[in-house]
Amino acid sequence: MTLGDFEARNRERWAEYERLLEKLEKGGKVARAADASSLPRRFRELCIDLSLAEFRMYGERMSAKLNELVIRGYEILYRQRRVGLDRVVRFLAVGFPAAVRREWRLFWLCSAVFWLPFFVVMLSAGHDIQWVQSILGADGMAGMDSMYGGREQQIEHLRDQYGANFMMFGHYIHNNVGIDLRTFAGGLAAGVGTLFYLLFNGIYLGAAAGYVNEACDPESFWTFVSGHSSYELLGMVVSGMAGMRLGLALLNPGRLPRVRALTEAAKSALPLIYGAMLLTTLAAVVEAFWSARFLPSGLKYGVGIAGWMLHVAYFLLAGRRVGDAA
Amino acid sequence: MNTAEPKLDTLQAVELAEGVEIRLRMAGPMLRMAAYLIDCVIKFVGMMVVFIVLMLAGMAVGDRVMWGMMALVAFFAEWFYPMVFEVGKRGATPGKRMVGLRVVQVTGSPLTLGQAFVRNILRWVDALPLMVWPTYGVGMVSCLATRRFQRLGDLAAGTVVIYDRQPLLPVLIAPPPITAVPLPVGLTSDETRTLVLFRERAGLWSAGRRQEIGEQAECLSGARGAEGVSRLMAMAHWVQEKKQGTLKR
Repeated sequence: MTLGDFEARNRERWAEYERLLEKLEKGGKVARAADASSLPRRFRELCIDLSLAEFRMYGERMSAKLNELVIRGYEILYRQRRVGLDRVVRFLAVGFPAAVRREWRLFWLCSAVFWLPFFVVMLSAGHDIQWVQSILGADGMAGMDSMYGGREQQIEHLRDQYGANFMMFGHYIHNNVGIDLRTFAGGLAAGVGTLFYLLFNGIYLGAAAGYVNEACDPESFWTFVSGHSSYELLGMVVSGMAGMRLGLALLNPGRLPRVRALTEAAKSALPLIYGAMLLTTLAAVVEAFWSARFLPSGLKYGVGIAGWMLHVAYFLLAGRRVGDAA
Repeated sequence: MNTAEPKLDTLQAVELAEGVEIRLRMAGPMLRMAAYLIDCVIKFVGMMVVFIVLMLAGMAVGDRVMWGMMALVAFFAEWFYPMVFEVGKRGATPGKRMVGLRVVQVTGSPLTLGQAFVRNILRWVDALPLMVWPTYGVGMVSCLATRRFQRLGDLAAGTVVIYDRQPLLPVLIAPPPITAVPLPVGLTSDETRTLVLFRERAGLWSAGRRQEIGEQAECLSGARGAEGVSRLMAMAHWVQEKKQGTLKR
């Protein structure tokens, strides 16, 4: 069969297939009216046509035309379905806590990288406050003084204006979730970026806490941070885990080629970074709308402790039966 | 898929479950840079419009609410602008669409949400080093070092950027040869394709240029100059017309 015969015999069928594609690509009402159920059959026919054209060397024009028709059909047939609510619920109830449990070594590693410098720097303030002062710098100290300097609940006063809580919510999302994402991406530099963010936050937050303990009013600080501390700090540690998953894939790919190991690691890091973003978003909600309220200290500490207990229970218990077997 | 030898073009063959090979044309870093710059302009204009609307709305609901909204808008534009478009039907940001590119999996099928997320969050690393503005130095080096022009985010997500509609090669067949010469040795499908393509495009070139290109395949034709070209033509003719005669029927 010559090129001309081949084209003449099939031209009509290809045109029909292309019209169907155009309708389906448009989407909406046009696509629903189209005869979508015939697409798989027509697509397979086009695949056979392409194989024949390649095998018989009908030339570049014919191959290119059929190649494009096949690709367009392939993209419609294999389009990903939307993420349903059931998958979101399953992720929250099973997927996320199970992923954190599976990576328990990374959890302790990232926790240590954050908490050890935090406590060392915070406690060092009691012996010699100069370390802490030099970490915070003049601006940092002035900021802490203005927020937690005295007994008169300055944060609560700042938040009195209408809409201030929402403004801070936007700021916390922009800043804190952004840090989560950078911590994750930094893992690509063999984990160095991730470790940097964890270490930096540990040192800086430790310095802030130490400075407030010595030079400001500790109660106004600790009552403010207690409510959202569990969400925020666990979110940071979990995003660190996701970053280290990437970094370790590059450092120790095992039996896979490095690029392949990286692709696999990115897949297994996904539930971690999704979860970290969720925790940090919740932290922003609590920090914006709860933490700055003027309430008895006992209640605020209580809510903070309850938050930590909830997280421990969630990560230890949720989805144990279903998730760890899979 | 696993072609270790250097290739003549940027086509990558991918075998589908249907048993057929499709060829994807990979997009190089320069075109992608153009798409990125267009996206930057679109993002900038979009943000400006949103900010002006918010500013006006701010008079009604209060300045602070508006500043909060702006922080949220800036956050989503910074991290999720490309991702939202790439999981969509077109598989491309507006900038990519304008220059005719789209993002697909290495296997040629459309992106999953997770892949779009990974490649666009890791964009932050590819954009380094930062010199006032992202330079994409890391991404450029990675693009040039990989076979499919992948930046690090693409490698981690398992994605490639391809031409959406492949531009057709100009084709002009030279007058058909009188004889058909069987191939002296077996050729791979890629090599045979190149030979046929030589015949199909030969009409576009002057005789001198034809000979110059033909001499690259001297080991196949066994001759130089006009003689070599006519032998290559005869072999291409055999491949296209005669070989299938012997195989079919």
